[in-house]
Amino acid sequence: MTSLDVAFAAVGVIAAASGLLSVTTRQVVHAALWLVVSLGSLAGCYLVLGAEFVALVQVLVYVGAIVVLVLFALMLTRAPIGPNREVSTSRTHRVLAAVLGAGVTALLCAAFWPLVHHAPPVRRVETHTGALAEQLFGTWVWPFEVLSLLLLVALVAALAVSRMARAAEGAEDSVLDHAGDGDAVDQPTQDVEPA
Amino acid sequence: MARLVVLLPAVAAAVGLLAARHLDRRAAHLVAVGGSLLTLLFALLQLVAVHADEPARAVRTLAPLHAGELRIPLELQATGPVALIAAVVAVVTWAVQAFAAWYLRDDDRYGVFAATTSLFSAGMLLTVQSADLVLTLVGWEVMGWCSYLLIGHWTRKESARRAALKAFLVTRLADVGFVLGVVALATHAGSTAYPTVIASYAGDSPTLPMVLLLVGILGKSAMFPFHDWLPDAMEGPTPASALIHAATMVAAGTFVLAQLFDLFAASGPARWLLALSTAVTMVWSALLAFGQSDLKRLLAYSTLSQVALMLSALAAAPAKEGPAAGTLHLYSHAFFKALLFLAIGWLSVTVGGTAAALLRGGQRGHLFIRPAMFVGLLSLAGVPPLVGFVSKEHVLAAAEVGTIDGQVRPGLVLFAGLLTVPLTAAYCMRAWLVLDDLGRTAVTRHDTDTATVGVRWAVGVLTVLTVVGGVIVFTPLLDLRGHVSWWAVLMSLLLVVGAALGVRALSGGEDPAVRLVGASMPRFDTGFGIDRLYLAVVANPVLALARLVVFLDREVVDAYVRGAAISATLGGRGGHRAHATERAASGLAWVVAGVVVVGLAGVALW
Amino acid sequence: MIHLAGPYLLAAVLAGLGTYGVLARRNAVLVLIGIELVLNAANVLLVATSAAGGDRWVAGNVLALFVITIAAAEVSVALAVVLAVFRLRGDIDLSRGHEDDGAAS
Repeated sequence: MTSLDVAFAAVGVIAAASGLLSVTTRQVVHAALWLVVSLGSLAGCYLVLGAEFVALVQVLVYVGAIVVLVLFALMLTRAPIGPNREVSTSRTHRVLAAVLGAGVTALLCAAFWPLVHHAPPVRRVETHTGALAEQLFGTWVWPFEVLSLLLLVALVAALAVSRMARAAEGAEDSVLDHAGDGDAVDQPTQDVEPA
Repeated sequence: MARLVVLLPAVAAAVGLLAARHLDRRAAHLVAVGGSLLTLLFALLQLVAVHADEPARAVRTLAPLHAGELRIPLELQATGPVALIAAVVAVVTWAVQAFAAWYLRDDDRYGVFAATTSLFSAGMLLTVQSADLVLTLVGWEVMGWCSYLLIGHWTRKESARRAALKAFLVTRLADVGFVLGVVALATHAGSTAYPTVIASYAGDSPTLPMVLLLVGILGKSAMFPFHDWLPDAMEGPTPASALIHAATMVAAGTFVLAQLFDLFAASGPARWLLALSTAVTMVWSALLAFGQSDLKRLLAYSTLSQVALMLSALAAAPAKEGPAAGTLHLYSHAFFKALLFLAIGWLSVTVGGTAAALLRGGQRGHLFIRPAMFVGLLSLAGVPPLVGFVSKEHVLAAAEVGTIDGQVRPGLVLFAGLLTVPLTAAYCMRAWLVLDDLGRTAVTRHDTDTATVGVRWAVGVLTVLTVVGGVIVFTPLLDLRGHVSWWAVLMSLLLVVGAALGVRALSGGEDPAVRLVGASMPRFDTGFGIDRLYLAVVANPVLALARLVVFLDREVVDAYVRGAAISATLGGRGGHRAHATERAASGLAWVVAGVVVVGLAGVALW
Repeated sequence: MIHLAGPYLLAAVLAGLGTYGVLARRNAVLVLIGIELVLNAANVLLVATSAAGGDRWVAGNVLALFVITIAAAEVSVALAVVLAVFRLRGDIDLSRGHEDDGAAS
C-alpha cells in the first residue's frame, strides 16, 4: 500500500459510505445531503488521482449546481420532511434491486479482474491544467461546441416541458370552471365512460 | 335437315318464352304448337329422304373443336333409326303441345311450360341425332334440366317441388357416371365422333367406360336402383309425364346405347349389369303397378317395366343381331304410352283427379277416350296386331336367339320378359276394369267435355299410330335382322289371355287390386319403402359424412386457427395486465435487469 | 505509485449502489440521485485511466469533464419532466400505476 493508496482508500471509503447512506436513508432531504458528501469525497478522489481541474469542476458543477437543482426539485415536489416509510419500494422490489446492484458490481469487478490481478502499482501521472486546456480546445473542440449546443437544447427542453405542463393544467382548470355552468357537471366524464 | 330439326324447337322455345312474358297466352300457344308442327314436318321430310336416298352420316353443325389432342367434330347424323326416332319424338311432342294447351288452360304459367317443352324436345332431338359424344351430353343435360322444370311446374305444390328435386338429384348423381364414361371414351379414341370412338375400340374391351355410361343411363331411365324418381315425378302435369316419362327422356338412354351398340356388345360386364338391373326392374315394377291406388302412378310403373324391357333387348341381343329390337320397342312404347297418359289426363280433367277411386267408370260413355284407352291398353299388354305386340315379340325373339346360343344372360332376360308379360296383362286388365267399371249401372255421359279440337287430333293420331305402327317392320328403316319366334308368340299370347281372364274373374265387380292386395295398397304406393332405403343407404351416410367433415373442419383444422387467435388474445391480455398499472418503478427494474443480464452474458461469453 | 485496484473497486461499488438507488426508490428525484452515482462511477474510471498515464489527448480528464456537463444537462431536463408530472399528477411516486385514474386529473 503506497501513500497514495491510503489516501485514496480514505476518501474512497467516505464516498462509498455516503453513497450507501444516500440510497438507503428514509429521509428524502438527507439523501440529497448525503449525495453532497459523496460527490465532495469524489472530488477528493480526483485530487488524489492527480486531476485537479476535474475535481474543481466536480465541486462547482456537481455539488454546486446539480445537487442544488435536486434540492430545489425536492422542495417543489413537496418532499416529506422527516423519516418516511414510503420513500422506498416494496421489500421484494428492494431485494431485487439489491441483487441487481450486486450483479452490476460483480460485473464490473469481473471485467476489471484481469487488469488488477497481480498488477504492480503504476506511476501516477498528474494532469497539467495547461495541457488539459490545450487538448480541450484543440483536439476536443468540436465535441466541446456540440456540448454547449446540448446545454442550450437542454435549457430549451426544460422550458418547453414546463410550458406544456402549465398549458395542460390551464386547460383542466378551464374545464372545471365551465363545469360549474348549468347542470353539466358530469358531462366530461360521461363522454369518457361509454368509450 | 337434321340441323333444322334440332334448331326449330330450340328457337320455338326462346320465342315462346318471350311470347309468354310479353304477349298473351294465345301467342305462346301458337308458337308452341306451330313450332312443334313445323318440327314434325321437317322430321317427316327427313325420314322420307333417308328412306329414299342415302342416310346422312355426318352432318356438320358448328366448326369442329380441337382441345389439345382431342378432336370434337360436333356432327349430327341421320340414318334410318335416327330419322325414325326423331320423327316419333316430333309426333309425340306435337301431340303433347296440343294437349297441354287445353290441359293447362287455367294455368297462369302455361307459356313457360310450352317453351320448356319445346326446349326439351330440342334436347331430345339433339341426343337422338347426335353423332358426337359432346352433343349427346349436351342434349342429355338439357333434358335433365327441362325435366326438373317440367316436373316441378306447379311450383306452389310442395310435393311437386320435392319430386322435381328428387328426379334431378337422382339423375344427376347417375350422370356423373355418364360424364365419366364419355370422358373415358373420348380420351381413348382421341375424338368424340361416334364412328371414331367405335373404331378405336376394335381390339380392346371398353368395359369401364361402358359401365360408367351405363350407370348414367340406368339413372335417367329409372332402372333399379335409381327407379323411384319416376313414380314420384307424376306430380308434374300429365302432358309433361306423357312427353318425358313415357316417350322420350327415359328412352333416350336406350337410343344412346343403341348407337354405341358395337361397343356395348363387346363388354360383357356392362351387359350383365344391364341385364340384371332391367330384369329386376321389369318384374318388380310390373308387380307394383298392379297395386297402385293412383292410375297415373300405375302408368308410371308400367313405363318402368316397359323401358326395362327395351333396355333388356340391348343387354340380351347377340352382337350380330344388333340393337334394332330395343329401338323398335322404344318406337312403339312412345306411341301407346303417350296415348295412355293423354287419355288419362283427359279423363282426369273431367272427373277431377287420377286416383283409381275417382276414375272408376270414368271412361264409360266417353266416345273418344274409351276406344283410345282400349287400344292403348291392348297395345301395352301385347295383343296382336298392335304395335306393342310387334315390338315385344321382337324383344323376346332377340333374347331367345341369345339363349339358343347357350348364354345365360339372354336366358335371364327371356325369363324375366316372360314373367313380365302376364303381369303386364294383369295390370292392364285392372286398369280397364277400373275405368270401365261394368258393375255400375249408372252411366254418366261426358259428351259435353271441353276438350279442344287439338286434343282430339292428338289423341286420334296417337291411336291410329298405335294400331298401324307395326308396319314399320316391313320398311328397311330399322335394321331388323331378327325374326319373330313363333314359340315365344304363342307363349306370350297364352300368358296374356290367361292373366287377363284370371284378373277379370277375381275382380268380382270391384277393383281387382283392392280385392287381391287390399290392405297393403299403401305399401305398393310407396314402392315398398324404397324411399326409406334411399335414406338409409345414401342420404344418412352422406349426411353423417358431412357432419364428420364439419366436425373435422371445426375442431381439427379450425382449432389451429382459433388457437392462434386465442393465444394472441391471451398474450395480449397478459401483456395488458402486466402493463396495466404502468408503474415506472417496475419498468425501471425490468430495464436494469435486462442490461445486467446482457452485460453478464457479454462478460461471460467473451 | 498507486494501485489501480482501488479506483476500480470504488467505481464498481458506486455503480452497484447507484443501480440499487435507481431501483429501490419510489420518489423520482431519489432515482435521479442513483443515476448521478452511476455517472460518477464512470467518471472515477475515466480519471483513474488518465492517472495511469498514457492517455493521448488527456482523454480521461476531458471525457470526465464532458460527462459532468452532460449530467448537468440531463438532470435539468429530467427535473423539468418530474416537476411537470408533479403538477399533473400531484405526486411523483414511481410505483403508483393507473389504479386511481382520474382521481388527480
